[in-house]
Amino acid sequence: MREIKFVQAIIEALEEEMTRDETVFIIGLNVQADPILTPVRLVEKFGTKRLREVPIAEPGILGCGVGAALAGYRPIVHSRFVDFFMPAADELFHKAAKWRYIHGGKVTIPVTFLAGIGGYLGGGGPEHSQCLEGYIMHTPGLKLAIPTTPYDLKGLLKTAIRDNNPTVVLYHRILVGAGTSGLVPEEEYTIPFGQADIKREGKDVTVVATGLMVFMTLQVADQLQEKGLDVEVLDPRTLEPLDIETILSSVKKTHRLVIVDEDTLRCSVGAEIGMQFMEKGFDYLDAPIKRVGAANSPIPGGFMECYALPQPQDIADAITEVLGIKESFQVKPLELLKPGRHMGERLGYGKKEN
Amino acid sequence: MDLTKEQKIRLYTNLVRVRKLDETMVKALLTGKISTFFHSGEGQEAVGVGACSFLREDDYLFPSHRGHAISKTLIKGLPARIILAEHYGRITGCCDGVSGFHTCDMKLGIPGMSGTLGGHFPLAVGMGLAAQLRGKKQVVMVIEGEGTYARGTFHESMIMAATWKLPNLFIVENNQIMGNTPVKIIHPKDDFADLGFGYGVPAKVVDGQDVFAVHKEVQTAIDRARADEGPSLIECKTYRIQPHAVGLPDTLLGRPRTQEEIEVWRKRDPIKLAQKRLLKEGVLTQVDIEKIDGGAANEMEEADRLAWADPMPTDPKEILKKALYAE
Ligand SMILES: Cc1ncc(C[n+]2csc(CCOP(=O)(O)OP(=O)(O)O)c2C)c(N)n1
Repeated sequence: MREIKFVQAIIEALEEEMTRDETVFIIGLNVQADPILTPVRLVEKFGTKRLREVPIAEPGILGCGVGAALAGYRPIVHSRFVDFFMPAADELFHKAAKWRYIHGGKVTIPVTFLAGIGGYLGGGGPEHSQCLEGYIMHTPGLKLAIPTTPYDLKGLLKTAIRDNNPTVVLYHRILVGAGTSGLVPEEEYTIPFGQADIKREGKDVTVVATGLMVFMTLQVADQLQEKGLDVEVLDPRTLEPLDIETILSSVKKTHRLVIVDEDTLRCSVGAEIGMQFMEKGFDYLDAPIKRVGAANSPIPGGFMECYALPQPQDIADAITEVLGIKESFQVKPLELLKPGRHMGERLGYGKKEN
Repeated sequence: MDLTKEQKIRLYTNLVRVRKLDETMVKALLTGKISTFFHSGEGQEAVGVGACSFLREDDYLFPSHRGHAISKTLIKGLPARIILAEHYGRITGCCDGVSGFHTCDMKLGIPGMSGTLGGHFPLAVGMGLAAQLRGKKQVVMVIEGEGTYARGTFHESMIMAATWKLPNLFIVENNQIMGNTPVKIIHPKDDFADLGFGYGVPAKVVDGQDVFAVHKEVQTAIDRARADEGPSLIECKTYRIQPHAVGLPDTLLGRPRTQEEIEVWRKRDPIKLAQKRLLKEGVLTQVDIEKIDGGAANEMEEADRLAWADPMPTDPKEILKKALYAE
């Protein structure tokens, strides 16, 4: 094992899979030019044909991914902002997700959509701060992973690239920008979809968290431990397929469930997980499920961002509420969110970088 | 029609005002007063100033993110203090501090600024349609970077605007770089103006450093639009002096950008070019130039001071609620 940065895990997964399989290539804005995500070394190694720079034409870019996949290639379509997938809704939610099904399963579409999600960048505004996993999880035909550690990211991204279906892998922009790191084996490995990971064991309450919310919840859990609360933090890692069994067995132990997801609360990932749980695990619960997520509004820009995005205190309050504790325990803001004077730095593009 | 002396001075003064505001915003970003980003438009001022200085107040304008639209919005009448206040999250900002960096002022015909590039084109066609229906000879101007003209929305919009002869103007602010990528590796032709021909839309290439040339070509297109003769496309060739956004590494395809190329374009700085011409024509003296410079500096200094001192929203949740749905 060695410690590597989150962004390094992305690069390693891409490099290994491109080396292993000549049909793998990357297509997206800035893929030959991104100062941190695609180092010059990668372009030199694989050439500009396999790191395909594109114009600002998202339906074209995502559609190209689907088309090349139909023709037997394994494209990885990348965007630092998942928000920019929205102009290509037809290509993502129809062509990628439904083309095989429309044709009775006669074709395969092994495309991977890799994109950055999330806010907390300093207020990029409603069209630069979204997560969108709710839309993606809602759409049958798309597999979906949201890895949060370098280990999970590398293993899941490699699995996604090898999968014969359209797969979406979302990484939180803050995790790249803040330079978070983690242990990753030297030797090759993959992680199968559909296996949740318990990021922290506890016996009093289960918190299912995704993306950056895993970090936020872990930090809250450490602070609540000081008050004697023992929080289990469960990261589903993939939302389609979803490992509901691990969630069920965790709550069977803790009897309490909080679900934390950064996307808009209404019709969210949390709503789906909560309801799937209710259909199977109602009897395990000693208190109603609580959800934490972004307000049912767009994410405002600038300094207003914090009024819509979930904060550590919201998570702490949800935990104490399901535990029936009247008192509110004050917790600190998320430390990862501090660095950077402006959005470019928070995204990891400080001048010192690269 | 030839420009009057006053009009020439106005164009020149506007160039200087935009430059001073750009400098103010660069400083604000680097000192943490702006929490998002700033895409400096240094060196590109002549495009917006030339295109917008003589728009009617009731004309519509969709400006791009470059320079956070100041070479267009300041010129159309949005005060610097209000632009800065929005960036500082103040309640006096043009969007009550909700937007971070977007611009909007319906009274000035500025319906907003898209986060996803290419979002403006179809909306502009819709406004063009409304303008045509209303019959008051308003025009609708979209100004975007060349990279954005790859979006399908542009091509869909051209079909409609050309077929219906809508009063739309599409202006390409071609600074030759898209993010960290030279646009020539992702576009098949040298001139974006060529995109007009397939739709039967008159298109021109103009020197984007020359504010008078930009103005002349745009005015011709505006006159056509007001005469119900339909849309036009104008490509202004310019160059991006600063990195894509301030504080980001200034690379092209992963390597530092060569300073020589930047220097070549600095020599064709739009303010310097306009100055030279107006001195030669005797429209301005050196003393006038210093006065204009000082005036613009004072304007922006005061705007910055006032905007920074303006209050943050006291009831942000109420403001956000009002922002979501109309009564
Ligand atoms: C739909 C969409 N795709 C990508 C982006 C990211 N993006 C922001 S600015 C930019 C470059 C724009 O280039 P250009 O239109 O030439 O304008 P310039 O920045 O050069 O002024 C890109 C790709 C975006 N905002 N929206």
